[in-house]
Amino acid sequence: MLTAVKNQLRVCLLSIKYNIMREMLNKVTFLTNIGFMILNNATFIVQWVILFSIKEEVGGYGIQEIMLLWGLAASTYGLAHVLFARVFSLPELIINGKLDTYLVQPKNVLLSVMTSATTASAIGDLLYGLMVVCIFCFSVRRFFLFLLFTVTGAVIMTAFALLLGSLSFWFVKTDTFGNNMVNALVSFSTYPDGIFKGAVRFLLYSVVPVGMSIYTPVDIMVEFDAWRLLKVAGYTVLLSAAAVFTFYRGLRRYSSGNLMEARM
Amino acid sequence: MKVIEAEDLSKVFRVKQKEKGIRGSIKAVFHPQTEEIRAVDRISFSVEEGEVLAFIGPNGAGKSTTIKMLTGILYPDGGNVKVLGIDPTKKRKQLAYEIGTVFGQKEQLWTHLTPYDNFRFFGAIYDIPDGEMERRIEELSEIFELGLYINTPVRNLSLGQRIRCEIAASLIHKPKVLFLDEPTIGLDPVVKENIRALIRQMNKELHTTIFLTSHDIGDIEKLCKRIIIVNSGRIVLDDSMAHLKYHYLNKKTVEVKLHESVKLPSAEGITVLKEKGGYVKFEVDTAVMKIHDALRRIDTENVEDINISNIPLENIITDIYKSEGKTV
Repeated sequence: MLTAVKNQLRVCLLSIKYNIMREMLNKVTFLTNIGFMILNNATFIVQWVILFSIKEEVGGYGIQEIMLLWGLAASTYGLAHVLFARVFSLPELIINGKLDTYLVQPKNVLLSVMTSATTASAIGDLLYGLMVVCIFCFSVRRFFLFLLFTVTGAVIMTAFALLLGSLSFWFVKTDTFGNNMVNALVSFSTYPDGIFKGAVRFLLYSVVPVGMSIYTPVDIMVEFDAWRLLKVAGYTVLLSAAAVFTFYRGLRRYSSGNLMEARM
Repeated sequence: MKVIEAEDLSKVFRVKQKEKGIRGSIKAVFHPQTEEIRAVDRISFSVEEGEVLAFIGPNGAGKSTTIKMLTGILYPDGGNVKVLGIDPTKKRKQLAYEIGTVFGQKEQLWTHLTPYDNFRFFGAIYDIPDGEMERRIEELSEIFELGLYINTPVRNLSLGQRIRCEIAASLIHKPKVLFLDEPTIGLDPVVKENIRALIRQMNKELHTTIFLTSHDIGDIEKLCKRIIIVNSGRIVLDDSMAHLKYHYLNKKTVEVKLHESVKLPSAEGITVLKEKGGYVKFEVDTAVMKIHDALRRIDTENVEDINISNIPLENIITDIYKSEGKTV
């Protein structure tokens, strides 16, 4: 059992390594992508600094909370897209019957699919998040909590995309709906939750899992609360289990395809 | 020993139907209609260890669907299937250690990596220890003559070299059964012949069972001893190549070039296919008329050249496709 897990992990790590090697084929493009992503994210700091020079707080957040929010949103997005980028294009694989390669391998299909692509610019997001927390709001405990929530947030985002992407096993054209929902998760994660009221706020803590991936973790980093930490961990496990279950139920309906293709 | 056993294997695809135009699209939103397409319809067959089997049929006959059910890619809707005694629907991973697959239309290799790095990756997938993996890569490199380009990125290889590497990669774990789906598609005749030689060698030396689908009659004729023809999801013929040829080669094609233009006298068992000047091409049904009786009808003094040949296997198979097994 342990050997099987070790072997599976070895294949996943090799796959991630080869993905990054592929992105590094053109070193200039690779480094530019990362650099410009950091710069792109940094421009929003200016926007918030100007806003906070006018107003002391927005939606209950001060400048430090906003930095934590942005840092966590960027690193969460970054980690999910560095390790599991393929999940975000899962409907395309399902609709065009491109899962065959993974199904004939003696390894976990889902992990093989998930780790089969990476997004170079997401490395910029991940680095940006870490830089923000180190520069603007560093403490040892906060840094380790930040690392933990980067992992839980990335898992929640990936599981959410997996759950929605797996709907393509049953319904055609759910890819647009799925993309919109994941984009909503990303967009809402860059605004303080205090500005959202009523139904929207309810949605952000239920349908779009931004509450558990970003807002609650930011609150915990500001004021530690073990019970809320457990709730985040529990939610992460439950959402992941639901996503994995949906994927494997859907896989039984997979109908493959005969498109000419190459593993690019 | 039977390595593949399929019993009443079935697969149904539900395909959405829509009337033409925008009205049809709107109607389909409110009243979606689906049609059931029986891609594989209760087929049963078995394959012995070490056999080289051609599993052929026209496009949409159910060949690839069958292969995909045998390899665990697709779940059957009915029937039972066992490959090496393993049920692909229940123990897909366990089966994957024992089988190899090459889909001519789908590349499994990473194009930015060299064949060597790809083999290392596939070795890791099949849990092969480092030392053994190096030995295996060396062995495959020798058999498939990959030495010259084993360290060249796959994207820079020719199609023939890529297919060689694809097959080599699929053999890294010494599979007992190899599924080849159109392995020679798009290759030139020389490379095709090389690939066929490698497949023959594999079967002979490693006793690997080969399950081949191909539209290339050359692949079938030169590699396979047994042939299964499927059409519309059903088996229309399951026979040995030798028996197929013997059974269906009751027709000969005679091409004669004559000094002068002569009209061939009509007779039962002779079908004139082409007649132009001194050139006559006709088919003799040897079940009705013996070939020497047919030749007697030609003025031998007048013959400049003559050629008697069997009906090409391609024509036989096409006839079987068209008849959908009615004659079998």
